Amino acid sequence: MGTIKDRYAIVGVGESERSRKSGTTPLHLALEAANAAIKDAGLKATDIDGFMNYNEGDSCTSHQLATYLGVRPKYVKDIQGGGASTEMLIADAVALIEAGQLNTVLIYRSMNGSSGTRVGRGYDPDMLQGALAGGSFVIPYGSASPSQWFGMYATRHMHETGITKEHLGHVCLSFYEHAQRNPKAFLHGKPLTMETYLATPDISSPFNIHDSCLELDEGNAIIVTSAEKAKDCVSKPVYIMGMAARQCHPHAHYWNDIDQVASDYVAEELYENAGVTPEDIDVASIYDCFSWVVMRQLEAYGFAKRGEVGDFVAEGNLKIGGKLPTNTAGGMLSEGYTHGMNNAIEIVRQLRHDYEGTDRQVEDCKIGICTGWAGPDIAGAMILRN
Amino acid sequence: MTQAKTAYQKPIPLKDIDNAPYWDAADQHQLALQKCVDCTAYSQPPGPTCAKCGSENVTWEQLGNDIKATVYSYVVSYRPFLPGFQEELPTIIALAQLDKVPEVKIMGNILNCEEKDLAIGMPIQMTWVDITEDRALPQWIPATN
Ligand SMILES: [Zn+2]
Repeated sequence: MGTIKDRYAIVGVGESERSRKSGTTPLHLALEAANAAIKDAGLKATDIDGFMNYNEGDSCTSHQLATYLGVRPKYVKDIQGGGASTEMLIADAVALIEAGQLNTVLIYRSMNGSSGTRVGRGYDPDMLQGALAGGSFVIPYGSASPSQWFGMYATRHMHETGITKEHLGHVCLSFYEHAQRNPKAFLHGKPLTMETYLATPDISSPFNIHDSCLELDEGNAIIVTSAEKAKDCVSKPVYIMGMAARQCHPHAHYWNDIDQVASDYVAEELYENAGVTPEDIDVASIYDCFSWVVMRQLEAYGFAKRGEVGDFVAEGNLKIGGKLPTNTAGGMLSEGYTHGMNNAIEIVRQLRHDYEGTDRQVEDCKIGICTGWAGPDIAGAMILRN
Repeated sequence: MTQAKTAYQKPIPLKDIDNAPYWDAADQHQLALQKCVDCTAYSQPPGPTCAKCGSENVTWEQLGNDIKATVYSYVVSYRPFLPGFQEELPTIIALAQLDKVPEVKIMGNILNCEEKDLAIGMPIQMTWVDITEDRALPQWIPATN
């Protein structure tokens, strides 16, 4: 992947309305998001020859989306995948373009995440036992939610590194503050104070409702093409400096070793491919299905040393104006949860300086990171520049 | 040993070709662990081969019924995420680090434990709850000595 540096770009991003109850299907949401991204890029739908999506059995197919955009696609791909799939599919798209198979690829995630199937909920327990690696050693004990799965990691990690509930609160407060600057954030107009945060009871320790992502109905889309073809687009291209498409925990039953996460394996490859260091990053999108997941990644990606992450977030470094403005649209904790893709869209908009002249713009930002976390088991990330 | 009072609503561990010896031992109120003959690594959960070296040369080690451990990590859930747990909230779910085999960690609920007494490093011991006529579930309770 080292040789792709700056040779591919994200040229279009778009989203549908976000709501608690869309009243429509994931296909409609995907069409709305795709049309927005196509318009953003200044392309025609027929300029796109590859369509990819990730889902949890809760979406429409890429072939359906292409069909109703009036396109006969050359290539379609639908994967079952968690919150590191945006980065992985972008890498797949780049590889297929590099291989001469495709010209321009649209990647989307569309889901009725609130009114339809909710990720990690309502599944048949016996199905889950079979679907999870070592599931029969987990499910019979009542552990069926990502909050419980990742919480097991969080409790130990917080114990070892001195991270407190209040530190988690600083992650939430930082992102909620960003949501107050984003009229389209679902929690716009609903600021959070530390007092309220600390008074909110846990759902499953160490997480309360504020520590958990905001499940909504929404579609997101991203268009990737070559730097060459990007010149034909009306948008400012955001170039891919480097990627680590995917890394995995050594064991599929990741509770086997809760002292490590897949993200620990991503950073070295990522920074080497991009040719930058953590100090070079101006703006970040850090996958935030839960507040602690951000903390653990700040450590994994070298933004703060192990044991110092709590102080790092308490000092306000995740806020616009801090050392590492992160999840500047509010993130999945307060903008909305589109399984990671909305965070990728935001980093593109920041790097294009779409918010110039407003308090949302990270001033003069040039280089950004976007991380994906499908769980402690699977992760990936990319570094982008303007 | 604790007898379940009413019909068991919670998920029952599904036996398969790889994990059956573990659950069969549990039904007899015993702990058995899969171990690699070639590299001596334990596999928890058990699998088709050794997860450390890929060897198919795996065997089972019987550890008996006096299983001591400490709490390596835990969560306390105040909402049920699965059927049957609504009656017993909050639910303590812990990862237990075995005293004799510290590299092995086994998930379970800690029974007879107040949330305020729960801590990482807390000594616990394995117990078995008879959940149906022929099935028993390994669980944990605070260590008595
Ligand atoms: Zn082995």
